[in-house]
Amino acid sequence: MMEQPHDLTVDTPRTWERPVVCVPVLVALSLVGGRFPSFSTEANVYVFGAGGVLIWLGLTKRVQARPAPERLRPGAVWWTLPVVVFGIFEGVTFIAAAGDDFPTFSLLADPLLEDRLVRSAAWLVWLSAFWGLVRR
Amino acid sequence: MMRALAIGGFLVGLALFGLVEWLARREGSKIPTLGELCGYVMRYEVGPVPVGRIGLFGFWWWIGWHFLAR
Repeated sequence: MMEQPHDLTVDTPRTWERPVVCVPVLVALSLVGGRFPSFSTEANVYVFGAGGVLIWLGLTKRVQARPAPERLRPGAVWWTLPVVVFGIFEGVTFIAAAGDDFPTFSLLADPLLEDRLVRSAAWLVWLSAFWGLVRR
Repeated sequence: MMRALAIGGFLVGLALFGLVEWLARREGSKIPTLGELCGYVMRYEVGPVPVGRIGLFGFWWWIGWHFLAR
């Protein structure tokens, strides 16, 4: 059999890397994660377990990665704008330590995350972004 | 008053993340997407150690623990 030249072959993602598989898995994991309240042992174990597996996948490069840019386009500097705005407010509210009068982002998020559905949605955002990082 | 200022500041920060990402996704944009930016950072290695990957994975792991476990 004739061997295909490398640049003509296309790497197809494995079955479990396809959206039709990984999206329902991420949703299921998020629904489970949303059941565990803050400060519970289950929540800590689940975060460390899920994060640990994803980091292992990402560092061992067992997942097909997208090509990373060798150089950044000049407009990359615009990303400093949201980072600086968010960082200033987080830093100032943290240093002020004024509690609910001048809350940090974490203090504002805590009551929202007590709702199980919102908590599951936050889990989905966290896991999806983590999966995106693993695939980079 | 100060509470409203903090909420407004964080909302503006989040909106700016969305705005820059939207601008980056336009045809012919000179701004990289957040994913491309992360991909670039993750290329950084010191010798055989993938410092960029470890740094971003560690940061995101901590974010999850901070908001979802404590």
